[in-house]
Amino acid sequence: METFWSSPVGWLVLTAGQILAVLVWILLSLAFLLLADRKIWAGVQMRKGPNVVGPFGALQSFADFFKFVLKEIIIPAGADKTVFLLAPLISFTLAFAAWAVMPLAPGWVVSNINVGVLYLFAISSLGVYGIIMGGWASNSKYPFLGSLRSAAQMVSYEVSIGFVIITVILLTGSLNLATIVEHQAGGFWHWNVLGGGGLKGLPMALVMIPMSVIFFISALAETNRPPFDLPEAESELVAGYQVEYSSTPYLLFMIGEYANIVLMCALISVLFFGGWQAPFPTPFLAHWAPTAASFFGFLWFFAKIIFFFFLFAMVKAIVPRYRYDQLMRLGWKIFLPTSIVAVVLVAAWRVFGPGAGA
Amino acid sequence: MPLQAIAFYALAAVTVFAGLAVVFARNPVHSVLFLITAFFSAAGLFVLMGAEFLAMMLVVVYVGAVAVLFLFVVMMLDVDFATLRQGFARYLPLGGLVAAVLTVEMVLAATSVAHRGAASGSTAPAAPNGAMTNVEAIGRLLYTQYVYVFQAAGLVLLVAMIGAIVLTLKHRSGVKRQSVAAQMARTAKGGMKLVSITSGEGVDA
Amino acid sequence: MTIGLDHYLAVAAILFTIGVFGIFVNRRNVIVILMSIELILLAVNINLVAFSSFLHDVVGQIFALFVLTVAAAEAAVGLAILVTFFRWRGDIAVDDASMMKG
Repeated sequence: METFWSSPVGWLVLTAGQILAVLVWILLSLAFLLLADRKIWAGVQMRKGPNVVGPFGALQSFADFFKFVLKEIIIPAGADKTVFLLAPLISFTLAFAAWAVMPLAPGWVVSNINVGVLYLFAISSLGVYGIIMGGWASNSKYPFLGSLRSAAQMVSYEVSIGFVIITVILLTGSLNLATIVEHQAGGFWHWNVLGGGGLKGLPMALVMIPMSVIFFISALAETNRPPFDLPEAESELVAGYQVEYSSTPYLLFMIGEYANIVLMCALISVLFFGGWQAPFPTPFLAHWAPTAASFFGFLWFFAKIIFFFFLFAMVKAIVPRYRYDQLMRLGWKIFLPTSIVAVVLVAAWRVFGPGAGA
Repeated sequence: MPLQAIAFYALAAVTVFAGLAVVFARNPVHSVLFLITAFFSAAGLFVLMGAEFLAMMLVVVYVGAVAVLFLFVVMMLDVDFATLRQGFARYLPLGGLVAAVLTVEMVLAATSVAHRGAASGSTAPAAPNGAMTNVEAIGRLLYTQYVYVFQAAGLVLLVAMIGAIVLTLKHRSGVKRQSVAAQMARTAKGGMKLVSITSGEGVDA
Repeated sequence: MTIGLDHYLAVAAILFTIGVFGIFVNRRNVIVILMSIELILLAVNINLVAFSSFLHDVVGQIFALFVLTVAAAEAAVGLAILVTFFRWRGDIAVDDASMMKG
């Protein structure tokens, strides 16, 4: 039996099982997080959200899922069929492919590669294509314009996200996400948002707290969330690049977008807020069974994801929309210089500050 | 390692096929999409060879930036593709012959040289340095021995950026722009005026 | 069967000739010419990284990194020139760009 699991076929089966587990978990969380988004938005506007399907509207997402799947798939005349149907598939696939390197708990990573951060960066660079292809293949002016705007916005904010990630990498010294999380062990004063080196690294909190805020805002822009949702706002461009899509392709776009949002929430918590680490030191975990200890970490990770998703939903409800030129100005003229200066400061801290020389 | 062989042949086949499709596709947008496929599978080949940093760099730089640039330009230029393919059939036989001869020559040269000299001793493209990761190995060399070349590469990118902007920027006069500093410097003194008017009369009176 | 250095060099050679063939055949379509140049540079990169990994020397990968950088810069400037050319001429048939012929 042991030899089966170590053979190539056994490894394939094991990996497929892990991927399935992560996929099912994400899809189930997405179903309820989608509802939570609408409920929080409704709560801010002093109304109840969806509360018809299921208790307190809990089954709303499943009803939406059935509605989307049972509708007719409409392909516009003159649209490039292959590219039209490929675009939502690419968006959906990439949003979930990025979860392969996410450390969900101690020892629970589907793929523990040494360049995990770069892999995530590559996946988000590829995510631009689903949007461009969707807009172009619709053979219609407004989706095309919306998709080009959206793509330019995503590419602009990827640059500042890259520099913010570099500051975290400088503090940790590794591109491996599991290592980044393990580096933040011990308690919330070891988290990267507070400098990453415990109490000795506290002066860096002056740089890292603004960096986490910049990362949060850039993540909002990256996933086309309000206040940066001009390319797909209902009152502006109807649904932007998604306007010619119906039924299942549209469902794939939507799930891909929300999976991206949850990925960004997870990334914020992994890079800055300790990932699966609890905010207090946990020496008692050494006496627990490894699975139970991993589950404990997983619960903390899930709690952090939900907290950041709550922040995403609140920002959507509270803040008015940015105009496109204001959005681009923010990304290039404000975030980029700030994050470059932060990289220089963190690098100087690592070379000349206490604990340097590693 | 049968898995490695399968992976290599699959990735190499996809790369070559995508390369051919770039040249033969009718629609330039399809050409760009196939170019992206070629880059992506080449990145997979890099990972097989143990150069994972370069593989990710390939995806981020080539696919994430250069190919997006190609796609934007192709989509926004309103071109008549029929006239552009006129010369295609004319040069195809001679081009095919030259390409075939070149391929055979290069593959023969590669296979005869590959097992001589320093390359003959190694059996598999394992990670060259077992002690440190690929990223660390590149970093240790890049910032010490090749730092001047590194800075020169940065200068090349800067010049390319300036060149692209100079070539394509069309400064439009008469466009109302937003000056955030001016807006933020507005005070109640300059922005508001209190007037007392009798009822029934307008403000302009 | 073990994948040796010659396999990777053969793939690079085939990709290189496809790129050269693309330039040869697509005389009028400048965008495909630019893409064929990118294919040629990709083939060169594969070659460099293959040698770097089989000779256990990281310098090949560093050189490939610089080739990547220069290729990106060259694509950007090439496309900027193309856009300017298109703005003046209205199409991208470079065969007809003979205004400066002596």
